[in-house]
Amino acid sequence: MDSNLVQFKKGVLELCVLALLARSDSYGYDIASRLSAAIDMGEGTIYPLMRRMQKDGLVSTYLVESSSGPPRKYYRLTAGGRNNLTAQKAAWTDFTRAVAAILDPDLEKTS
Amino acid sequence: MNERDSFLRRLRSGLRGLPRSTVDDIIADYEGHFDAGRTAGRSEADVATALGDPARVARELRAEAGLRRWEDERSLAAALGVIVGVIGLATLDLFVVLPVLVGVASSLLAFLLVGIVTALGGGLILPFALITNLPGFTGDRLQAGLLSLGVLSGGAALTAACILFTIGLVNLLVRYGRAHYRLIAAGTGAPVRD
Repeated sequence: MDSNLVQFKKGVLELCVLALLARSDSYGYDIASRLSAAIDMGEGTIYPLMRRMQKDGLVSTYLVESSSGPPRKYYRLTAGGRNNLTAQKAAWTDFTRAVAAILDPDLEKTS
Repeated sequence: MNERDSFLRRLRSGLRGLPRSTVDDIIADYEGHFDAGRTAGRSEADVATALGDPARVARELRAEAGLRRWEDERSLAAALGVIVGVIGLATLDLFVVLPVLVGVASSLLAFLLVGIVTALGGGLILPFALITNLPGFTGDRLQAGLLSLGVLSGGAALTAACILFTIGLVNLLVRYGRAHYRLIAAGTGAPVRD
């Protein structure tokens, strides 16, 4: 993969996880497979990230009994996680809008 | 040996040195991942490929654990953990950072030694200055005492400054490490499924 692209994705992975969890609670496999389908990242990296986010107090976990196999660990956004998402989302939107305007000045004129 | 066991075994061996409970916790996460993959109808080989290299995943987890410990306790061992963990990430530009780091660390060590020796020297001559007088010193006893105290506190100040600088340096390393390990394993050749 293009190394530039890896750097870009690195920065937004946490934001993506926060956004996914804001819609509904989810478990590791589900988060990993949805993200890897959308932004083509290694699935194994989701767990180090989830551990860090948990320790940072952005997400909390709970176990849900599963009919097939052992209970599943679900992740839920905390209040701190929600605030963090709002802040990161605003920063991301401002930033991408500014970059888009610079990359394509015509777009700015017509809109 | 099947793919799942081989992945978990390599991950566990890569995590050696971390607390037992942490390792078990991590392993449980990945076991759950394999289980969920099977439920979703994927083969173990498929899931293992998408997870990436277990050694690399282990390096990221170890680095994170090292950084965490430093944030919880400012000890020398924790600082070493950060340094070893970040070096373990072995990203390409680390080879640029490393020589600088070694340079800064050696000068820091030199300053630290000078600080400690100066402080010790000051402390050592202080009793002599108060009881008798310093050999070859022409001023009175008060002057000698103040001089020793000055040397002592100067050395202590230098030592303290070095320690503060080291803490700042390790914090910087933490930020460097954090910026690097997230998603490093991306694009390890995992096939895109549709």
